[in-house]
This record gives sequence, C-alpha cells and structure tokens, in this order.
Amino acid sequence: MPAPPYKMWEILERARTGPFSEDEPFIMERFMPHLKAGIKKYGIEYDPATPIPSDDNLADALWQAGLEFFLKVGVLCVDTHRIMTFDEKEVKEALYLAPGEYLVGSGKDARLLKHRQVEDTNPPFAIFSPDITCDEGLFSPLSIAYLKEPLADGVCAPILEESMGLKIKAQTPTELAGSIEHAMSLRQAAKLVGRPGIFLVAAGTAESDMAQISISHSDWGVRTTDSRLVGALTELKIDNALLNKALHYQQFGCFTGSLTGPIYGGYAGRAEGTAILQVAYHLMGLLVHQAHYQMNFPFHIHYTSNSSRELLWVISASHQAIARNTKLISFSNGFLNAGPATDMVLYEAAVHALASTVSGANLWEAAVAHNKYKNRATPLEARMAAEVGHACSHMKLKREGANELVQKIVAKYEDRIADAPLGSLFQECYDVAKAMPKKEYLDLYARVKDDLVKMGLEFPY
Amino acid sequence: METLERLVQAVQDGEAQKAVALTQEALAAKIEPLAVVKALTEGIREVGDRFERMEIFLPEMMLAAQAMQKALELLSPYLERQKEGREEKGTVVIGTVEGDIHEIGKHIVALLLEVNGFTVYDLGADVNALDFIKRAQEVKADIIGASALMTTTMPGQREIIELLKDMGLRHRFHVTVGGTPVTRDWAEEIGADSWAENASQAVAILEKAMEERRGHARTTL
Repeated sequence: MPAPPYKMWEILERARTGPFSEDEPFIMERFMPHLKAGIKKYGIEYDPATPIPSDDNLADALWQAGLEFFLKVGVLCVDTHRIMTFDEKEVKEALYLAPGEYLVGSGKDARLLKHRQVEDTNPPFAIFSPDITCDEGLFSPLSIAYLKEPLADGVCAPILEESMGLKIKAQTPTELAGSIEHAMSLRQAAKLVGRPGIFLVAAGTAESDMAQISISHSDWGVRTTDSRLVGALTELKIDNALLNKALHYQQFGCFTGSLTGPIYGGYAGRAEGTAILQVAYHLMGLLVHQAHYQMNFPFHIHYTSNSSRELLWVISASHQAIARNTKLISFSNGFLNAGPATDMVLYEAAVHALASTVSGANLWEAAVAHNKYKNRATPLEARMAAEVGHACSHMKLKREGANELVQKIVAKYEDRIADAPLGSLFQECYDVAKAMPKKEYLDLYARVKDDLVKMGLEFPY
Repeated sequence: METLERLVQAVQDGEAQKAVALTQEALAAKIEPLAVVKALTEGIREVGDRFERMEIFLPEMMLAAQAMQKALELLSPYLERQKEGREEKGTVVIGTVEGDIHEIGKHIVALLLEVNGFTVYDLGADVNALDFIKRAQEVKADIIGASALMTTTMPGQREIIELLKDMGLRHRFHVTVGGTPVTRDWAEEIGADSWAENASQAVAILEKAMEERRGHARTTL
C-alpha cells in the first residue's frame, strides 16, 4: 500500500539545475499571467449564489486549469533561484502511482486514511487540531482534551511559545527544546488517554528543519506511523529548509503532509484564481513535497478565515476537482472567524464541514478566532465539524442539498465576519484538570446542534 | 479626457506601456512634472484604498504600482531639478525577521508605503536583527519595520529593539512591528514605537509618526 517517493532525487536536482528566475519576475511575469490566462481559457467563474457548486463540468475544468497552470509555472526554489518544472507525463505517472489509501497510526488505534469521492457515503477522516499556541502549562490538558474526542481519527497538538519557562525562538536551542517537549508530552498524553497508537501530526512547535529532524524517534518522539507537515512559500515557492524536511520525512519513513494555504486576495486574486492554485498545490505536494496527503487551508487575506461564501466556493470547487480526477488524499482545514463558546463559531464549523465533506475532502478542524490568539481554541469546535461531516455521509447528502443548508447557515453569521466575537479561552470554557467542556458551552453546543437538525441535518446519534 | 486623467487611469489599470506613453505626452505638453507626480500619487492612493476594500486584488495593485514606477522613472530627471517641491515622507527599512520565511504581508505593507510616497528598502525574509539596523544606518532610514508571522519568530522583533538600545541607537529609528500573531500588547511589551493591524493602518500610523518626528525635529532645532 505505501508508495515509494516519486523520482525524488531527480526532482530535487531540478532545484539546482532548473531555469533561473528571481522572485518578482516569477510572480509578475509567470505566475500571475498564466493564472489569468487559465481562468479565461477554462471559463472558471465564481457564483456567490452557489457556494457549493454541483457542476461536474466546472470541477473538471478547474482540474484541467490547475494542471496546466502547474505545468506552465512550476515551483521556484528561492535559495537557488531555479524553477523546478514538470511535464504532463510525469505528473500522470505520479498520479497513477498514488495508492489512494494508507493505514496510519498503529495497533488498535490505526485507521485507514483514504481518498474520498464527491458525495462519498464514507465518513471523512477527522484530524482534531487547535492550530494555535498555548501556555506551556496548558499543553497537556489541551492535548488530552483533543485526544479524548471520540470522532478524532488523528490529533495535531497546539504549539508551544515557551519551553521550560524560556521564550522559544525559531532556529535556536529553545526551539529544539520546545519541539522535544512538544513531541514527548503529546506522546505521553496519547498514552494517558488510552490511545497510544493514534495518528499524530507533530510537531507544530518545530518550525525549522533542524527542529523537525530532532524529534524523529520511534520511542518518545514522532514515529513512522505518524505524520509531519511540509509547507510552501507564497505562492508556489519553496526553499532548501523545506526541501530538507521533505527529504528527511521520506528517509525517516513517516507520512508527509503537504501544507498549503493559497491566499484569497493575494497573488492568486479572487476566488477563481485561488481555486486553481489550490488544485496546483496538490501537484506540488505530490511531486515536490513527495507527500502522502494534501492539507489545504485557503484563507481570506484580511480575515485569515475560510468560512465566508467565496472561500467556501474555493474549498468546494477545488476539492471536487481533485476528488473527481485523482486518487489523492486531501484534507480541508477550517479557519473560522469567531472564537470558542460562541454560536457563530459552531455554525462556521458546521458550514466548513458541509462544504468540505460533500466535495470529497477529509476534515482538519479547526483554527478559530482568526487563528491569532493564544489558548483560544477548544475541541468542541472540531467536534461540531466532525459530527456534521459524519452526518453528511450518514444521510448521503448531495451537493445541492448541502448548498441549501450552507446558504441558510451562512446567513446566520456572514454580516459579522469583520468583527466576529473572540469568545472564550480554553481555560474559561473547559475544566482544565478534567480536560472536559463546562456545562455552559455544552448547552450552547446542544442548542446549535438542535438548530442544525431543524434545518435538515440528520446526525447519526 | 485630459492627458493627466488618462495617465492616472492607465496607472490605476496597471497598463505600464500606456502610462509611459502618456507621461511622455504630458512632458511634451509642458505639464509641470510635480503636478504629474501629485496626480499619480492621488491615483495610486485610491488603488491602495480599493485594495483595502477588496474592490481590487493584489495582482491589480502590483500591476498599478509597476505602471506608476515606470512613469516615475521618466519623471525623475525633472524632479531631481525641482526637488524642493516634492514631498518626502520618510525612508523605511522593512523585512521579515530571522527564521521567518513569510513575505506576503510585509510585501503588501512595503508596496502601500511605496505608493504613498515613502522610500522603501525591502530586505526580504529571514533577516537578522543586526542586518535591519546596519541597513537602516546605511540608507539613513527613519523607520525600521519588522514583520513576524509565527509566534516563535516574534522574539526577532524584540531583538532589534534590544540591539538598538545596546548600540545607543534607539532614538534614531521609529520601530514598527506587524504580522498575523503580533498584537498591540506584544508591541508594548517589547517597546516598539507602533503596531498596525493591517497594511493601510500601517501607512496612516507611519505618516503620523513621521509628521510628529518632523515636528519634534523642528521644535528641537
């Protein structure tokens, strides 16, 4: 089942020998004109009335546009100033070799991580992840709270800002120490909760290549049954440190996730360009990161979120393009505007899960409160997304039905996006010692869930 | 439509070739170069405002800035001769701090500062604290702008301020900080002079800071 890395050495060599380009011409003369031409050639058009499009022709056109864009633009290595380029035959070969499923985690906690189809009746694989930083003293309680969630197939822990009381600075010994503390504490938390083999994605504290390499250890650290992420530079760029990570993950033997967040309002422009770029990022993930799955977080340049109408369209359309035309495994990462213990964040989580699940994505939930504030995330936001994801497959929801639901739910919050409530801190709405939600938040959760049922969602339980 | 209006429109539309031709036309028609610059500056400021309102997107703003740059290149020999009349807003050295490879936010701030009349030296990403200071000294900058996109790289902003203090240079530069995880509280904690939540806010804050600095300098003198 596991695929070998696709011609890794040959492709890495292109970062040394590919065509020369500096950063600005790469964006101004290559990236932007080809993106504009692709939107026009394939007639890609965003429709605000249909955040969940049901048009297969649109999904297939988006796939073709993304493929062509990737082949024409390539990936710039900013350290060597060389463009790594690809031809269609090798993209097709790599796509053919992608197995479409992996057994991740270990022992009784192992799970099958699979490619999903549009309107797939299998539930999404759900990774529960706070995506924010936390106080050192809250790392274990927060991790335990996420690990306790029944629908969590995998967990990604919060990020440390301090280690042993020292402020962590990237690329210094404090980062190494913090990364080891992160990996060890998460492993210990998983054992305490009784899920010692659960699929872990670690460690967000290790931003640099050296810190990631330092935590590869099948006893106390990241195991080969776990996963790590490797990112891209905005947009379609990479550097040697990121390539170091990609190579190390392959040689160590863990699962690689390609972490890419095309920016709506950035170099890709509007929804159409952002969606094409997200499709292209899947190919960068497959060929450059040599990744086993793609983790997508397209986001709005002003709000750092993706629960608005135009971003939901980007998510839905691009995941449909991938689901219909490849066997690639793709995650959709919710970036929500409101903070914990607000009705808005729960509605946003529901909408993000609806748009993603019905379009063929797995779920990675959720960065909340604009992904900006320390200690401001809880497992209940992820639980809502996962429950809605399971409801979609349970009730065999079609895209048209999802679109109707999304329209109703988005209307509840879209005028509050710019000044969304920040909500509560983890320690305010959770019993920290027990790592359990407090009654007030559970009551709010139940009210929102009831409302979703009234709107037509059918939860399995 | 008058030449000047057409020129502003060409710049706003990001049509560099047309902007160059119309600048030449304006000069041939003996339109005062300073009047051309003034019209262009107002026009490009409007582009920045439209970007903030998301009526246009980054590609359009970048093309407009490029067209503006081409027009200004043609005007610069005339402006050298008439320097006294041109508004000099200030010189900014900007970059993303050490260990951080994120550039787009800093890039947008640099672009907006530039189109609003600041002279900007963009040092790129992963910039060592001392390199910010050395470059700021070299170009006689007024402002050092340090961006950080990760909590683990934010200490790089503090390092710049601490080094400035240790080098006896803190008073020489206005230090502004920004980036997604950077908050007003953090800016205050590390002793930064200003913090902005977004690019347009950064322009307004730095314009005000420069006015205050000039006012202070005049009073002192």
